[in-house]
Amino acid sequence: MSAVAGGNAPVRRRGPDLLPWVAGAITLIVLVGFLAYPILTTMANSFAPQGESFNWFNGTLANFERFWTSALYRSALWNTIVISVAVTVLSTLVAVPAAYFVARVDIPFKPLILSLSIIPLIAPPFIGAYSWVILLGRNGIVTHYVNQWLGLPMPPVYGYFGVIVAMVLSNFTYVFLFVQGALSASDPHLEESARVMGASRWRILRTVVLPLAIPPMLAGAMIVLIEALGEFGVPAVLGGEMYVLSTLMYFQINGFFNLNGAAAIALVNVAITLVAILFLLRINKRRRFVTLGSTTRRAALIRTPGMRIAANLYVWGLLFLAILPQLVIVFTSFSERWPGTLWPLQYGWSNYTYVFNRVVGPIQNSLILGAIATVACVVFGTLTGYVAERKSFAGKWALDLTIMLPFILPGIVTGVALLVTFNAGPIVLTGTAVIIVIGYFVRRMAYIYRSVVAAVAQVDPRMEEASTVAGATWGETMRKVTIPLIAPGILAGAIIVFTTLISEMSTTVMLYSARWKTISIAIYERLETQEISAAAAIGTITIVVTLVLVFSATKIIGKSMSDLFR
Amino acid sequence: MSAQDTATAPASAERRRRFSVEGLTKVFSTEEGQVRAVDDVSFTIEGDTFFTMLGPSGCGKTTTLRMIAGLETISEGRILSDGADFSRMNAFERNIGMVFQSYALFPHMTVFENAAYGLRLRRAPQATVDASVKRILAMLQLDGLAHRYPADLSGGQQQRVSIARALVYEPGMLLLDEPLANLDAKLRVEMRDEIRRLQKALGVMALYVTHDQEEAMAVSDTIAVFSKGRLMQVGAPFEIYARPASLFVADFIGKANFLPLRGDGASAATRSGVAFSGLARRAAGSNEADWFGPEAQAMLMVRPERMSLTPKAATGAGTLSGTVRRIQFLGTFVRYLIEAPDADRPVLIDRPAFVDGVVEGSAVDFGFAPEDAVLFERPGR
Repeated sequence: MSAVAGGNAPVRRRGPDLLPWVAGAITLIVLVGFLAYPILTTMANSFAPQGESFNWFNGTLANFERFWTSALYRSALWNTIVISVAVTVLSTLVAVPAAYFVARVDIPFKPLILSLSIIPLIAPPFIGAYSWVILLGRNGIVTHYVNQWLGLPMPPVYGYFGVIVAMVLSNFTYVFLFVQGALSASDPHLEESARVMGASRWRILRTVVLPLAIPPMLAGAMIVLIEALGEFGVPAVLGGEMYVLSTLMYFQINGFFNLNGAAAIALVNVAITLVAILFLLRINKRRRFVTLGSTTRRAALIRTPGMRIAANLYVWGLLFLAILPQLVIVFTSFSERWPGTLWPLQYGWSNYTYVFNRVVGPIQNSLILGAIATVACVVFGTLTGYVAERKSFAGKWALDLTIMLPFILPGIVTGVALLVTFNAGPIVLTGTAVIIVIGYFVRRMAYIYRSVVAAVAQVDPRMEEASTVAGATWGETMRKVTIPLIAPGILAGAIIVFTTLISEMSTTVMLYSARWKTISIAIYERLETQEISAAAAIGTITIVVTLVLVFSATKIIGKSMSDLFR
Repeated sequence: MSAQDTATAPASAERRRRFSVEGLTKVFSTEEGQVRAVDDVSFTIEGDTFFTMLGPSGCGKTTTLRMIAGLETISEGRILSDGADFSRMNAFERNIGMVFQSYALFPHMTVFENAAYGLRLRRAPQATVDASVKRILAMLQLDGLAHRYPADLSGGQQQRVSIARALVYEPGMLLLDEPLANLDAKLRVEMRDEIRRLQKALGVMALYVTHDQEEAMAVSDTIAVFSKGRLMQVGAPFEIYARPASLFVADFIGKANFLPLRGDGASAATRSGVAFSGLARRAAGSNEADWFGPEAQAMLMVRPERMSLTPKAATGAGTLSGTVRRIQFLGTFVRYLIEAPDADRPVLIDRPAFVDGVVEGSAVDFGFAPEDAVLFERPGR
């Protein structure tokens, strides 16, 4: 047996395998430097006098006093709470019936319904909110017809009414997708046994179906609540004279460059968010159902004509309302002359010519900044996700917490934290592209992290061990085995990250500079100068690019569009 | 195939390898404190020995294997391969081939690329890769499958690919971690013979882990029996079966009948007073005192096929007797389950044919030749 040859050569003797340690150390430094450190600095500086950095001798509560002394602060705090609670409750009330209808009633085009339901989530920045002014404003289209046909006055769109309507219709999807998923996956045996025992349909709905839908409903509601507490675009456009904490932070920085004041508001905002999350988690904890059935059979669909008509009307009506802003944006982008009349006087492509001639810079910037941040997210998200899934070590919870923190931190708070931290001190980054990239990176790394954790969990660790024993270093195993296997998950995550970054608004407004304006800033500026149609054209381009990217992500990992957001 | 011919003269003197494990220990920290998963294990393997670590699940055999492979850190002890200290080498430097229970094939590579993996890591030239992979695939009867992906193969074929992947670069030793556990019973028997044939043909030292004692007896040159992290006995299959060093080994390997004995030395007798002389005596394992119960000073072990069985004679003094509770016809032999006052568990007796005049419910006498019994003495406290 002369040769099953080739391996007879002595194995290369190498030093200790340092790569995992180096990779881990770099990741740790990045996480601490760009995440933990800014958050801690912001917390500390909220206790420092205006214009100073915190040290152990200048601690003060002055920045928080305004929540008692200033009517503006008090009302902003109150508005934030009222709006967030109202949006969460209304989103849930609107979404649950839709979810039930789609999951349990025999209506056509369900995949289309699910795909359309994510469109509200990809509303372009600012103009998405402004489209409600076009519809419901004093000269709005809907306002006009409601006046003319019904003789009813509409409440003013600026203020509570507009803000809540806009936020409910762009956020209910979370609850809808969660509950719909749970209801269509739940074990039909439960309902069948209830029916066998003689329960009426209404009774089954009340005692079996709805209780099972509560955990996913609360999970969806939590996301809505977090989004609502951090929302910047809608209150910035539709708030009018009314401030919420996020717009107040922006006001403190843009108006007075009061970093300490903004830091204090940020801290209060985060505190409210944490309390709200803990509250919802507590409710949800008492309800732990395992609804994974022993069968893959789906529950029988309801086919009575009455229910089918009601379901179709409700679901399509809700979807139409939710997608209306996008339709209005596309429509507006083709209007060339709209001088305060009910409908535009002239239509054409001139807004697009304008955008492609004059707004190239911001579009380029968004693409460049988004791309760089996405690459950074991929590199570090993959490393940390891999480590978190494969290795067990002390303090893993701290890693998890640090990475997931930006999920609950409002974007504007992340912006404030970076501004506070890198405006002075050892590293000054204010006004550079770097600080924007860091902001994007910090906010979106968790997406990649989560997809990598999920993907790595699918890879048998024995595969990596087989590679190691066959003679591969850690780096070689990663390159030849692990990365190729988790690549689809990473790629889909990267596309979603990139998509959300090209229209990122709430962190950008804190960090942009004259040299580094992005798509969101370009839209915002057009709105301020009343160039609505141009803003709509930029918005339309964003919608199209986003849809194409999301669609390609679904093709890569073979999931439906709605699954990407579930 | 020429493999069979070369199997008789595998290892030239220069390739005769020596592998040893000295005082190997693995301590895991759990919430309940420290657990010694592997406790002071030592053994030596030479040349192309097929060495099997056998034991119930959780006995430390797999942990031992993983420490040898470098997939688990060593708490104490040394692993020496031809004098080289494994504990100072990275897993990827040890030049080992390993076969996993789950096969662990790379799903994104073809059969060919899976098999070529180790050679590519060793930067072997393409011509060598082609030739070696072709040869090993042929030896494993995988010729036509080189360009398939693992997902398109049956379980048996996947296992062959994983063996090819582990052997193609001529590793210093081959580690197999329950490689047959996922196969169905018939295929398991085929594969185990094939693994041994290949191992001898290639003259590679093999370290095999299994919990299946029949499988271990069938393939191994040497078996190491593990229990609770400890190495209980090392020996050839016949040795550990006929001369078990402890009650655990006697009980775990094959079937065994145990008769508790009272009294010391020459006066030892069963409960009903049957005495024996001229028995081979040995001490039970030091942690096996609780096998004996309060009264027994020694424990007699006899294999079922070594026992005789006759209908109860009129005068029964001085013989072992009992009642037949069940007769099982098992094809190659007949098994009698006998309830006897001298044993705590039913006594098993395997006979090549039915015994005349014995039916279920019969009173019977049974016995054995002294040289077929082993007497375990209660360990000192």
